[in-house]
Amino acid sequence: MGRGAGIGAIMSAIIAFAVGVTVMFSLLLGDNPALFGDLPDADELARRFALPADVLLRLVVIVVALSIVIGIANLLFVHVSRLTSGKFYSAVLLASFGFTIYWYVTRQGDTSLLEAVQLPIESALAALLFLSLALGGARVMGKRRDIWGLLFVAVVVVVLLASLPLAELAPLRAWSDWLMRVPVSAGARAMLLGIALGMVVAGVRALLGQDRAFRG
Amino acid sequence: MAENTIALVSFALTLMVFSYLLGDVPLIGSLYRIAVYIFVGMTAAFTLVVSYEGVILPYLQDIQNPATSWTTLGNRADIYIFFTALLFALLLLLKPIRSLTWLTNSVFAVVIVVGAAVGATGAMTGTLFPLLQATVALPEGLSADFGALADTLIVFVGTVTGLYYFHYQLRARADGGGEPSRVGRGFRHVGKVFLVTALGAIYASTMLTCLTILTERIGFLFQFGV
Repeated sequence: MGRGAGIGAIMSAIIAFAVGVTVMFSLLLGDNPALFGDLPDADELARRFALPADVLLRLVVIVVALSIVIGIANLLFVHVSRLTSGKFYSAVLLASFGFTIYWYVTRQGDTSLLEAVQLPIESALAALLFLSLALGGARVMGKRRDIWGLLFVAVVVVVLLASLPLAELAPLRAWSDWLMRVPVSAGARAMLLGIALGMVVAGVRALLGQDRAFRG
Repeated sequence: MAENTIALVSFALTLMVFSYLLGDVPLIGSLYRIAVYIFVGMTAAFTLVVSYEGVILPYLQDIQNPATSWTTLGNRADIYIFFTALLFALLLLLKPIRSLTWLTNSVFAVVIVVGAAVGATGAMTGTLFPLLQATVALPEGLSADFGALADTLIVFVGTVTGLYYFHYQLRARADGGGEPSRVGRGFRHVGKVFLVTALGAIYASTMLTCLTILTERIGFLFQFGV
């Protein structure tokens, strides 16, 4: 790594730390007058603490929106360049993009294009997902014939059968309800807590400049 | 667009997506890809429209009106924020120039770190504390109902052991290697039971959702045919 690049990395880390700590404290302390006890100007103080996070969040929201525009422009450039080498599918994508923009500009508020094209494709793809999931479940039994594979498939079968509107399956439904209320709730809580702890750790790593994402 | 046209286009596109099931048959196989490329193009266009209409346009209109302000700092501060964001977006375009990469990385640093700070604060106040409180809290009148007490205990044990499953710690062995402790291994096994059960239930719920959509699509195809 060159000297310039090294200084750049240090600068990025310092900026990251300063901005991150400011936003975090501003979010934790801002807009919460109860934290300032009986101070006479607690409301004003809480509002002032909330200001840095408000400003930085608005800045980032606009940057992200502009980044999306840049990303879409990049997508279009890539497909235009592929068009010259005779790629038919790129022409379909560009035509679809152009037509949608034309539709939006000429018929504002008309959602029929969304109903006719976007919704059917999304629904059909989600429907195809059912077959992939069913195949995946079957593969679990084929490849992982251990206690965990068996438990996984057993839970899937119980939940699926319990969803059938048959009177004969009432005991199974009661069992499935208990399964969802107790062990599934416990497992889901453990996963959510794990995700939350992971997010806190990843956040702190980014604040301390340990994350390589922005160091180039 | 007329209702019949909407139905006809929906019918054709649904069949094009379902042609995926026929595999890589010449001509028919490309129908699926055409539908997906139409979908990508349209999604990109809608994303652009939403970004422009939902974020950029309102901010542009607000900075032109001195009476409105996003913060207590006033309209002038809004203009500075907007143009700083524009400058940041322009700096992102400098990524290919190697000597100026540090400028792009600094913008990335601001975006990533603000996201990380919001995520970490949100995870603490929105998930960690409420879930921990809910897990350790005892329901009222618990002593009278043995079933409820057992359920609360199972949830507590499941949450703690499930969380322990993500914890990796080895005990040093004489030969320099490492092995998990027997208690730790037992905890992880119990935790795995709860995690696999939860994943199985989530998988089944997703399957049910997709099955409902599949039924609706097949119903639509038959209805259109009739």
